Amino acid sequence: MTQRKQLLMIDDDPDFVDGIKSILTAAKYDVDVAYNSKDGLAALEKKKYDLLLLDIMMGRGAEGVMIARKMGRDPKLREVPVLIMTGIREQIAFLFGSKALHPHFVEVDEMLEKPVEPKQLLERVEALLKAGGKKGPAKK
Amino acid sequence: MEKRSRILIIDDEEVVLDSCLAVLKRANHEIAVARDGTAGLALAQEFGPDLILVDLMMPGITGFEVLEALRAADPAVVAIVITGYSTVGSAVEAMKRGAFDFLPKPFTPDELRLIVDRGLEKRRLVLETLALRKEREMVRENFAAIVSHELRSPLSAVQQNLYGLAAELGEKLDDTQRNRLERMKVRIADMLKLIETWLRAVSVPNDDIRERFAPVSLRTCIDKAVETAQPHATRKDVAITETVAEALPCVRGDEVSLTEAVVNVVNNAVKYSKTGGKVEVKAAAADGRVTISVADNGVGIAPEDLPFVFDGFFRGKTAAAETGVGLGLALARRIVESHDGAISVESQVGKGTTFVISLPVPAPDNPSPAAP
Repeated sequence: MTQRKQLLMIDDDPDFVDGIKSILTAAKYDVDVAYNSKDGLAALEKKKYDLLLLDIMMGRGAEGVMIARKMGRDPKLREVPVLIMTGIREQIAFLFGSKALHPHFVEVDEMLEKPVEPKQLLERVEALLKAGGKKGPAKK
Repeated sequence: MEKRSRILIIDDEEVVLDSCLAVLKRANHEIAVARDGTAGLALAQEFGPDLILVDLMMPGITGFEVLEALRAADPAVVAIVITGYSTVGSAVEAMKRGAFDFLPKPFTPDELRLIVDRGLEKRRLVLETLALRKEREMVRENFAAIVSHELRSPLSAVQQNLYGLAAELGEKLDDTQRNRLERMKVRIADMLKLIETWLRAVSVPNDDIRERFAPVSLRTCIDKAVETAQPHATRKDVAITETVAEALPCVRGDEVSLTEAVVNVVNNAVKYSKTGGKVEVKAAAADGRVTISVADNGVGIAPEDLPFVFDGFFRGKTAAAETGVGLGLALARRIVESHDGAISVESQVGKGTTFVISLPVPAPDNPSPAAP
């Protein structure tokens, strides 16, 4: 219970990553980072994370969406809460309509627009971890 | 090497075909011929002509029909009708239907060359215009994405690190250091907001805004707008008064956009008010329209500047002392016009300015599909 929560961040902007990571590390979270979707998916396979912080526009387009969709199809990864951080809030509604990218997507409203204020970030992360915890471990 | 122009000649008279061919071949054009309308249309599809010479009087389908079908396939195609003197009337009719010009038979080689050259020049201009228009649309469509990625992303990364640094350093900073960090955050937040405004000015409202139209209470929009402008007004000691008619009818529209339009106009009024000034916001309905007026007793706008206040990036002489880029009113106009409304302005330098937004009220005997 006292164990530190394991967070993964997938974002291709190292500067942005550093800015977020410093806030989360100071709040006693363990944060792993992947700078592209391939490494991100590999990290998700290898380790069990309590929360994923996900960028949308990476590489050749909206690769973040691809990751979210892939996770939605995976019975194990589906249980990992996702916090989407994006600079394209308006476009995303246009691009993807109201269709949920992830099971938690609509339920807990976990999209934040970059840049993210520390207080807001920590509140949202905490809320998502709680919601994720309630769901319990993945069903067999 | 420049692309050769393609000319299609549709005529059933062998003599005309031969003379056209003889004249035009010398000018190094690519030429195709058809002896009736049906064959001409089939040929046009694979040949993709720049210019077409078509006889109005042919057996089978008429020149008119050919003309219509050709223009449907390529609206930029330049068509010249060939006609006998007796049918000048129908040549005029053909021009009304989009033919570029007509050539009365018999014609001299010079007349043919001249009219074809003019037609090809027209074709070049039409294509150029189309290309430019397409490019402009593309720039417009992609602008949001480009600005977002190239400007917004680096700025938000910087801002994120300032947030991070402020959180990490916290107690270690002395007051001036903390103050400087705060000021940096404010400056970057302002820049991000500015980019947001640009994005909105180019990308919204577009045509699909109409799909989201629903009955909107303008009272709500005005309340929100006044609330938004209030902090700025308080700082400048400007009093905003709000007079909204009881039972103001709803209009059809997008509440968020309409609120933004009113916010921009009210903000503008506060901005150009003098300290201690007042801004009056009124709304009333008359003659099937709702009008919202926003009046200030501020610096006013010079008469020669008035026609331009709704153009993007315009800032009048009297605006010189204020900061801004001049997009608020341009955006307000775009929003109002996308709601089939109008926005107007009256002003006297030194006395003040009144903006009026007027929006149509859906007729009660013609209820919208959404209404029960």
